[in-house]
Amino acid sequence: MDIKLLSKEQETLRFVLSDVSPAFANALRRIMISEIPVMAIDDVMILENNSVMYDEILAHRLGLIPVTTDTSYNLPEECTCKSELGCEKCRASFSLEIEASEPVEVVYSSQLKPENPEVKPVSDRIPIVKLTAGQKIKLEAYARLGRGNVHAKWQSVSAATYNYDEKARTFTFLVESTGTMPPEKIVLEAARIINAKSVSFGEGLGGMTES
Amino acid sequence: MIIPVRCFTCGKQIADKWETFSLRVRAGDRPIKVLDELGIRRYCCRRMLITHVEIIDEFLKYPQVSAKKRAEII
Repeated sequence: MDIKLLSKEQETLRFVLSDVSPAFANALRRIMISEIPVMAIDDVMILENNSVMYDEILAHRLGLIPVTTDTSYNLPEECTCKSELGCEKCRASFSLEIEASEPVEVVYSSQLKPENPEVKPVSDRIPIVKLTAGQKIKLEAYARLGRGNVHAKWQSVSAATYNYDEKARTFTFLVESTGTMPPEKIVLEAARIINAKSVSFGEGLGGMTES
Repeated sequence: MIIPVRCFTCGKQIADKWETFSLRVRAGDRPIKVLDELGIRRYCCRRMLITHVEIIDEFLKYPQVSAKKRAEII
């Protein structure tokens, strides 16, 4: 197996992978798309909202905002707290409170106050909602780790593709992160997941031969 | 209603580019040029900005008008 880095711009990574089977390259690609745990807002407690946007649309938009992932958090299903609400080890909270005084006031992602500075919106300029004078929004949001195969908001990449050169037997990969994690970390994390899956498969087989 | 946070197809975050896009296109720049400069390459993401209509601006007029009416009555 050989990996050659082609280019790295902010969120996009290009590399050539050679001496692997198409099955392996594809497994890597599919895991990057759907199985890397990343953070996204999952629960929103709306205390006040008299904007023109319904609570559920507001919550949906908050969920889709890419937030930076801190991998020291636990996956909610693996956390020791076993709580539906989560604990400080498996969730990061945000708060938003704003009352408009102008005729048109845009609420941006920068106004979401993160509890942990490591978990914050990727961009400060994402419009969440527009308010007019007198309208008020007050809410608390909780981000959790999750996987892309559960909901697209937990997808780590917006593009993970490769081009297979049959003659040279090489795969030219393109990995474009949503900003939640650097792309090279996504590739590494995918490799770690393949490894963990293989190990547990091996353990399963071991159990079969014993019986 | 308001610019979607992500591209419907690929999931790329495009919302923060809307204001620049809309301002520059209204100022007379060609959408092709603006999209290229904003780094929006795929056509799935490009259509998100090209076809978007910011209707929330229309909705905001209703609370504005009713607030004015209320002020007149009092």
